[in-house]
Amino acid sequence: MDETFSIELDFEACKGCGYCLETCPENVFDPGPEHNAKGYRPPVVARPNSCLGCRSCFMVCPDFCLEVSRVPD
Amino acid sequence: MDGLFQKYLRPKKIPSTACSGCGLGQVHKRVLLAIDGLGLGVQDVIWGTGIGCAGRQTFNAWKGDNFAGTHGRVYALAAGLRMALPKEKKIVLTVGDGDAFGIGLKHLLHCARRNLDMTVIVADNFGYQSTGGQFGLTTPPGAVTDSSPYGLSETGWLGPDLDVLEILKAAGATFLARHLSLDGKPSVDNLKLALLNPGFSLVHFIFPCVTHFGAVSLAERDKPLILSWFKSVFNPAYGQDRGESFQKLKDRINPGFLKLKRGLYHDASGSRPDYSELLKAWTDTFRPDRAAPKEPGRAGSGEGAEP
Repeated sequence: MDETFSIELDFEACKGCGYCLETCPENVFDPGPEHNAKGYRPPVVARPNSCLGCRSCFMVCPDFCLEVSRVPD
Repeated sequence: MDGLFQKYLRPKKIPSTACSGCGLGQVHKRVLLAIDGLGLGVQDVIWGTGIGCAGRQTFNAWKGDNFAGTHGRVYALAAGLRMALPKEKKIVLTVGDGDAFGIGLKHLLHCARRNLDMTVIVADNFGYQSTGGQFGLTTPPGAVTDSSPYGLSETGWLGPDLDVLEILKAAGATFLARHLSLDGKPSVDNLKLALLNPGFSLVHFIFPCVTHFGAVSLAERDKPLILSWFKSVFNPAYGQDRGESFQKLKDRINPGFLKLKRGLYHDASGSRPDYSELLKAWTDTFRPDRAAPKEPGRAGSGEGAEP
């Protein structure tokens, strides 16, 4: 019954604005430890199992670098 | 990059030219979601761009045909294209607030008057931010910017008793809507209606500029906090529980200055004829030998198109 979702985050495309961290109702993201080639620090998907699949992060992400998809059973 | 990007945009546009935290990508994404939702392909849309931040974000990004106009003249170019193209092709224009409501307003009004079938997406960041943060025609009253260091005393198009969409409505536009770049499904739905309207449509998006408007006018560097201020523009009750730092932003510029409703503003889809269709029909009466073929076909695609 429980649906699971996978969140793909494009490490190089992210500009580290932190909107997904702010928006996620289930606190799925954590601030990331590494910098990408552009010098930004993308977040990490720390708790993917808590994802509700609401796609708030996808809608708020200004850089086309998040993709939320349902994991088939 | 996500699936939407791979389907419609050129890979060289990632990462985009916008600043970290800029809401332009959110506007761009909503337009693509609407195009995708209507089942339109790369070949169905001709994408025009203005200049400034909004033009640079979308310039040469669409995988299909696209063109760039000079400042405020992209509607005039689109008007010519509309008369040359078959009516199945959609014209989408992404422009900024200075482009649409400043230098290009008259071109915009004449496109609305002729009710030419095009969808104008105005991405509004409250001023001329790509040139360093000067005040523009939609800057909130009292805002401190590079060119108004003691606070803006002028009334803009979004003043307490003015609304630029009212002018466009009076000029004959058949679809008008206003949204925040953070709006989800309602904004995508209105964009779909705008694309389907066989006439002039305009969707006004307000999006957060963190680099100039946020840092100078709101005097804040925390991007999520700036985002929250923008959320409270249409919803003054938002952020009551967000504490002192957020209150400081609200004291700097009162987000309630807009006093405008978000969502659908005016929908009279199909109520007026599109001038380009009238013009084509009128010219056909003089040149019956060159009238368009009855069955739909690709214009100028080889034999049979021209006598």
